[in-house]
Amino acid sequence: MLSIRNLTASINGTPVLKGIDLEIKAGEIHAIMGPNGSGKSTLGKVLVGHPSYEVTGGEVTFDGKNLFDLEPDVRARAGIFMGFQHPIEVPGVSNAAFLRLAYNKKAEAEGRDELDPLEFDDFIREKIKLVAMKEEFLDRSLNEGFSGGEKKRNEILQMAVLEPRLAILDELDSGLDIDALRVLGDAVNKLMRPDHALLIITHFPRILETIQPQFVHVLSGGRILKSGGPELAVELEERGYDWVLEEAAAGDRR
Amino acid sequence: MMPAVDASLRSDLLATSRPGGWEPVRVAAEARLAAQELPDASQEDWKYLDLSPLRKLSFRTAEVASPAPAASDIPGLVHPEMMATRQVFVNGFHAPHASCATGLSPGVRFFPISTASEACRLLGTLGEGAPDFFEDLNTARFTEGAVILVPQNVRVETPLHLLFLTQAQDGGTVPVVFPRVLVILDRGAELELVEEYHGEGTYLSCPVVEIRVAEGAILRHERIQRESLDAFHFGALRAEVGRGGQYHSRTVSLGGRISRQGPRVRLAEGAEASLDGLALLGDTQVADTHSFLHHAEPHGTSRQVHKCVVDGQARAIFNGQVRVAPGAQGTDAQQQSRNLLLSGQARVDTKPQLEIYADDVKCSHGAAVGQLDPDELFYLQSRGLRPEDARNLLTYGFAADLLARIPVASLRRALRHLVLARTQATSLGGLA
Repeated sequence: MLSIRNLTASINGTPVLKGIDLEIKAGEIHAIMGPNGSGKSTLGKVLVGHPSYEVTGGEVTFDGKNLFDLEPDVRARAGIFMGFQHPIEVPGVSNAAFLRLAYNKKAEAEGRDELDPLEFDDFIREKIKLVAMKEEFLDRSLNEGFSGGEKKRNEILQMAVLEPRLAILDELDSGLDIDALRVLGDAVNKLMRPDHALLIITHFPRILETIQPQFVHVLSGGRILKSGGPELAVELEERGYDWVLEEAAAGDRR
Repeated sequence: MMPAVDASLRSDLLATSRPGGWEPVRVAAEARLAAQELPDASQEDWKYLDLSPLRKLSFRTAEVASPAPAASDIPGLVHPEMMATRQVFVNGFHAPHASCATGLSPGVRFFPISTASEACRLLGTLGEGAPDFFEDLNTARFTEGAVILVPQNVRVETPLHLLFLTQAQDGGTVPVVFPRVLVILDRGAELELVEEYHGEGTYLSCPVVEIRVAEGAILRHERIQRESLDAFHFGALRAEVGRGGQYHSRTVSLGGRISRQGPRVRLAEGAEASLDGLALLGDTQVADTHSFLHHAEPHGTSRQVHKCVVDGQARAIFNGQVRVAPGAQGTDAQQQSRNLLLSGQARVDTKPQLEIYADDVKCSHGAAVGQLDPDELFYLQSRGLRPEDARNLLTYGFAADLLARIPVASLRRALRHLVLARTQATSLGGLA
């Protein structure tokens, strides 16, 4: 589904990604872990086309198509979604109206029927149960005055509405208490389907107890230093990141 | 020599019948008018507002429209909440068949000013500061308008609707209307008032609104300027807010080729005011807001958010004066001017003006002029919205944010639809 080869990217002329290789197939859950400032979030933002980052080399294909030929909105309608660590507040636009608009733009692109406000009302009421969001948040302005946790809940609600084939979730657990994390983790699991894939970006292994990846990668200094199965996450929980960094440094010296 | 516009604006003053017992006030206004001309750029307060298009026109007093248009013919002007609490004026004349005041709370009075009695002796005496040219014109020659009186401790549940419609045939001289409004809230009274202007063709509208909010009273005031795009609108508002009283107003300016709002609010001890504004401008529209918030006594609170969305070659002007008088300790005043420029030729001149003569106060102001935030644009795009849709949605949101707290649902909806249309966001469907 997603194929990343030797990807390099920079922000304001400073290289952040220094050669990333990663294959994600339908049905797979991958976790990218690493210390702060390692380039984890950058990888996600580059994949969804954030304008602050410049792709300086390498190749990424999604369904065989060159990802960098597609504008961010086209990538979204093609089925790529990123749940941001710090979602933006948009005053004046009601959350429900925005969600319906986003849903309908995708439905239109896929040749499905758009939903009118009444139909959407029924649709969204089911979706907010999934993320245990209070109805009042639908009438409020998009993310405006939401707490960190409420914003995360709203990101997963958007994911539930858009049903992306590839969802990239950046630091989903930040700002969430343990119960909210379990609710949202369960919601993400329910949204996962055999033809979908997930890329979880996280500093802490905690979230991986709920959303269990088959593949774990350690990213540091803009490179993937180590890849493994779920046991790698357990090891990182016990030992931290330093040993991976030291191992990689030793490898470089050899 | 007197400019032609002055001559034609003054000419038929004496021809019209003038109601009420306000001769001293009118004579004083007339005397001031005799000594001044139409303002020009040499006056600081009019520096950015070019009135030269007015000089090319000649004016006449508006005549009765026949047949009178029905408000129900105009989308968004009939608000079910206020069907039985409205006074409608067409071309400056009261339109009894379009009006209905059967839904008023007991003791509340809402009637045409032409039928006013000595109860209105306050007219022309409220507020501070010298009237400008257009306000004097109104005072000297107004013939109609509305009076609203709310007795002590009466909390009016149903909002009142004041609608001024003007219909002008194009060509020839330009009709002028001088709506006059007096609102008196006695102690502890509470009222929601909607004041709306709408019209067709080229005309000049010079309304003056005077307000007294007595001790502990609360007035919520929605002001909707939807004049025709060929019209000229110069409005003055004077409000006095008594001890612990509250005056909250929101002015939405959508129409007018050249328009100006001049609210002046005086706050007594512990009084609160909010003075919000939204101007949505396109083509070659020019809209000016010159506001004056006076914290005359201690412990007053004021909030002012003024937003402009400017497209085409339009121009917005904001001059927000806030004065904290000597001794007005504990004043809390915040002002924000936020402006969105949608085209390279659009222009905004914004000038916060804080004059603080007390030391124990909390005052802040800020002004921002800019384009849409790239992070917000990207966030919407990342959810599948095309760049153009994302831009329109953010522009709509910037403006609609100010409408969210309008308590009259049908008015809120009507305004959202107008803002949707003006921000090209209608294609996004069902946002309002």
